[in-house]
Amino acid sequence: MSQTAPALVVRGLVARYGERTILDGVDLTVARGEVRVILGGSGSGKSTLLKHCIGLLTPDAGEVRVLGQPLHDLEGAERIALLRRMGVLFQSGALLGSISVRENIALPLREHTDLPEDVIGELVSLKLEVVELSHAENLLPGELSGGMRKRAALARAMALDPDLMFCDEPSAGLDPLTSAELDELILRLRDRFGMTIVVVTHELMSIARIADRVIMLSGGKAIGDGTLDEVKQSDEPEIQAFFNRTAAGEMRGSASALDTLRGASP
Amino acid sequence: MARELAELLAVPRATPLTVDLSRVEAMDSAAVAALVNGWRRAKAGLVLGATSPGADRALTLFRVGAEAVPPATPVTLLEGLGGAAYAARSAVRDFLQLAADSTFAMVAAVLHPRRMRWNSLVTQGNDIGARALRIVALIVFLVGLTVAFQAAYQLQQFGAAIYVADLTAVSVVREMGPLMTAILVAGRSGSSIAAEIATMQVSEEIDGLKVMGMDPIEFLAVPRLLALIVVMPLLTVLADVVGIFGGFLVGVFYLGLSGQSFLHQALGALAPFDLVTGSIKAIAFAYGIGLIGLYYGIRVQGGASEVGRTTTASVVASIFYIIVADCFFSIVFYILL
Repeated sequence: MSQTAPALVVRGLVARYGERTILDGVDLTVARGEVRVILGGSGSGKSTLLKHCIGLLTPDAGEVRVLGQPLHDLEGAERIALLRRMGVLFQSGALLGSISVRENIALPLREHTDLPEDVIGELVSLKLEVVELSHAENLLPGELSGGMRKRAALARAMALDPDLMFCDEPSAGLDPLTSAELDELILRLRDRFGMTIVVVTHELMSIARIADRVIMLSGGKAIGDGTLDEVKQSDEPEIQAFFNRTAAGEMRGSASALDTLRGASP
Repeated sequence: MARELAELLAVPRATPLTVDLSRVEAMDSAAVAALVNGWRRAKAGLVLGATSPGADRALTLFRVGAEAVPPATPVTLLEGLGGAAYAARSAVRDFLQLAADSTFAMVAAVLHPRRMRWNSLVTQGNDIGARALRIVALIVFLVGLTVAFQAAYQLQQFGAAIYVADLTAVSVVREMGPLMTAILVAGRSGSSIAAEIATMQVSEEIDGLKVMGMDPIEFLAVPRLLALIVVMPLLTVLADVVGIFGGFLVGVFYLGLSGQSFLHQALGALAPFDLVTGSIKAIAFAYGIGLIGLYYGIRVQGGASEVGRTTTASVVASIFYIIVADCFFSIVFYILL
């Protein structure tokens, strides 16, 4: 069953932080082998959604099924077994700063497999080759450039050959060229390894290049879900604002000072 | 202009005040703000008359929100107390949770040595213990020396200089050795645990471990806590020896006692139980320093400035804890004897 189930199903996800509701009943289905992009402006709840999908936060209501299994209901060995099948590329890379790139990538392998040390070494070299980072394997994460750090983190995330990969703002803080290279890398993972990839981003260029389908969040709700073209057709003003790069603030109930003084209701 | 407008609006009038902007050449944002603010306060009492193109341009440039955000109401004393009590309650709960989790994980690691992270344990032990040897030895040596001088000054008056040995030995082994060692370890290692864990938290490294299916408690907390608990009694014993040596120098070179009689007297003043109490103290200090460092590190939120703040807070809390615990132990051991 878990082979045919969608890679990720989120149903009615509600997340609150104190009295603020961050996510208000979000539904999301990600099919196997697709690149699904989660869009939204700052504060739309896209990072919170991601954190629920990778098990860092527990939903206040609703459920998250990863690869057919209820992530938040699993404990101990079952949960770890499921986490092994997922990879996460964090915004800052999240590599351990005190050990080399090679050691970082070997870490999940040592932790979760009983492969002999020389096989682990070989495997790490293979992964480094995929992200074209073989020359930097002995450097510490702090000695890498932003783009290299992201690629190293990607290599670590794919160390255990995950079925499902999450990427949080992969192009944040990268120049357009490096960011484009990272996009190609993500597509290569999908095409070569059949990975399902969920990407949180707001980079229009990147979205257009990699997205098979997108979901757009605003104010904790999904306001668009489908292929990029379908979502672009939507009349939803926020979606239009996002793709046409107009500021959403001007459309939300504010009037110019002149209109206000002329007697339009405050 | 804002003040004049306010004065005009303060006068009660039958017809609304009309603001004529027809001869205005240009308006800046402050003028717009004053006008909007006057309009908001006067409700229907202010009407915009004719406007010049310049005024129009300025007034269309800025947008007015539906309503101004009310300023945060100041917190009353009672509310402040209540808020602090709630915060304290959740802090205590979080701390106890961490203490319980770490203790269980530590016991589990000791019972299943194959799961122990030996590399990390050895690295931590080296950092916390071996690298602290010189500074701990130096400080406790000076403390022993100082205690002996103070004792000598008093005891010489009674011709009881030999008791300097007793006093130095007892105060170093029972109090100063464990206490000074703990304070130094809190400053050196407690702070570095807090800073390191906080940095890892801020840079998502701990989240990274979690999603890789690795328990940060097992991976980060256990090696640090265990290293502290193993190393601290050893450091304390060393501190005891060096502290007595400080007193020994005072006895031999300042008071002219023979080395043999000083040592005989010093060892005679100590009971085997004193070493036990010293070790119990050392372990309790180590456990507290470790947990406090971990707690402050893990709970950090925000950026780099928070790392500094949390590190400072952890050291203050550790030293406070050490002094209180030391006082507690001294009373308990006094009653027990």
